[in-house]
Amino acid sequence: MLRPRVIVCLDVKDGRVVKGTQFKNLRDVGDPVELAARYEAEGADEIVFLDVSASKEKRGTLLDVVRRTAETLFVPLTVGGGVRSADDIGPLLRAGADKISVNSAAVRDPELLSIGAERFGSQCVVASIDAAREDGLWRCYTHGGTTPTELDAVEWAAECERLGAGEILLTSIDQDGARNGYQLDLTREVADTVPVPVIASGGAGEAAHLKDAFTEGHASAALVAGILHDGLTTVGELKSSLMDWGVPVRPTPTNGGSPS
Amino acid sequence: MHVALFDYGAGNLHSLGKALEGAGAEVTVTADWDESLSMDALVLPGVGAFGAAARALPNDRTRLRQTLADGLPCLGICLGMQLFFDASEESEGDGIGLVPGTVQLLDAPIVPQMGWNDVDTGADPIFDGISELVGYYANSYVCVPTDAGDEIAWSEYDGRRFAASVRRANTWGMQFHPEKSSTKGRRIVSNWVQLAREVIG
Repeated sequence: MLRPRVIVCLDVKDGRVVKGTQFKNLRDVGDPVELAARYEAEGADEIVFLDVSASKEKRGTLLDVVRRTAETLFVPLTVGGGVRSADDIGPLLRAGADKISVNSAAVRDPELLSIGAERFGSQCVVASIDAAREDGLWRCYTHGGTTPTELDAVEWAAECERLGAGEILLTSIDQDGARNGYQLDLTREVADTVPVPVIASGGAGEAAHLKDAFTEGHASAALVAGILHDGLTTVGELKSSLMDWGVPVRPTPTNGGSPS
Repeated sequence: MHVALFDYGAGNLHSLGKALEGAGAEVTVTADWDESLSMDALVLPGVGAFGAAARALPNDRTRLRQTLADGLPCLGICLGMQLFFDASEESEGDGIGLVPGTVQLLDAPIVPQMGWNDVDTGADPIFDGISELVGYYANSYVCVPTDAGDEIAWSEYDGRRFAASVRRANTWGMQFHPEKSSTKGRRIVSNWVQLAREVIG
C-alpha cells in the first residue's frame, strides 16, 4: 500500500531557513542541514528546499547547502527555486537532490520540463505551481507569487505532466500561511485531472487539514512548513493523529532516525 | 572493502555514496568498467532512463554477466536492478541478462509510483534485523522475473504485486531506494556491505 506522504518544506534564503506569510515578511527559523535531519528523525517522508531568493537574487550557497544536507539526510530531497535553465538541473542532482522543482522557469520555457525528464527521468522533475482564485480561474503566479500569468492551474498542471513532469507541487497563494486548511477545490481539480502525484501545499494548520487534503483533496502528499518551524506541532504528532483517524501514513521511526 | 559506485552520468549518487561509507565501505565513483570489475564489490545506482543506462553498459555484456554470476557482490537499485534483466519496455537496449525476465510499465492511474510502500520481505539475510519495512519508491517500471524463485521481497501497487527485490548469486536488486528509506533502508545498505565482506573473505 502506497502511504500518503507528509512532506516538510523549508524555504531557504541565503543558506538559512525562512518563513513568511503569503510569500512576504520573511523570518529566520534555522539551519537547513540541522532542520532537515531533525524532520527525518521525527518522521518526515520527504524534505523540500525552496530557494526563495533564487528567482530574484543571487543564490551561490544553494549547492553547498544541498551537498551538506544530503550527507546526513536519508529521505528524498527536492530542491526548487534554483532552476532557471536545463543546465541547472544536473548540478543540483549531483549535489544530492533527488528531484528538482521548477516554477517560473517552466512557465517561461516549458521545454525545460521535457529536457529534464529526458535527461534524468520524469521521477525527478516536479512542476511547482502557485495559484490564486481570480476571475473564475485558478490563476498561476510566478516569481514567488508576485507575477500573475494568464495560465489556469488545472490546465497548466496537465500541460506540465504532458511535457514530462512526474509530480505536481500545488500551492494555494490564498491559503499560504493562513493555517486554516489547504485549498481543497484546487487540489482536487488538479489531482483528478493529472495522472501523476499531486502535493497539496499552502494552509496547513493542524492534522485534520492534512487528512482533508488526502481524502477530500485527493492529494498524494501534503506539504507542511510554518506550524512545524514555529513549534506548534511535530511531524510525529501530525502522523499520530492521522493514524488514529485511519489515514495510513508511514509510522514515525521509533529510534530517532539514526541507524541501529 | 572497496566498492565501485558506477556513474551513468545522471542523477544523485551522493546519498548512496554516503550510506555505503556510513556502513564502512570505501567508495570509488567510476564510469570505467575495467575499474568497476576490479574492485571488491559493485553498486549500480538508480537514477535515469533504461536506454541511456544500457548505452553505458559495456558493449560485450558477457564478461559483466559472468562476473556477477560467478559471485562478485553487487547491489542494483531501482534502474540498477532493472539493468540485471534482459530488456525493458521503457526503451531500446539490452540489459545485463543476469536475471531472466523483462521490465514492464506499471499500468495504474497514477504513474510514477512515488512514495513509501510496504515491502513484504522474505527470509534473505539482506533483510536481517528489519521488520515492517516501508521503502521509498520512485518508479514507472517494475521487474518481472521469468523464474519467481529470483524474487525475495514484494510490494503492491494499484492491486498489482511486484518484485520489490531480487537475488541471483551475490547480486541483490532493490526496486525501492534503500538509501532514501531512512533508518531501515540504511540497515539494508549495511547488511549488504556485511554480506559482501563475508563473500570476499
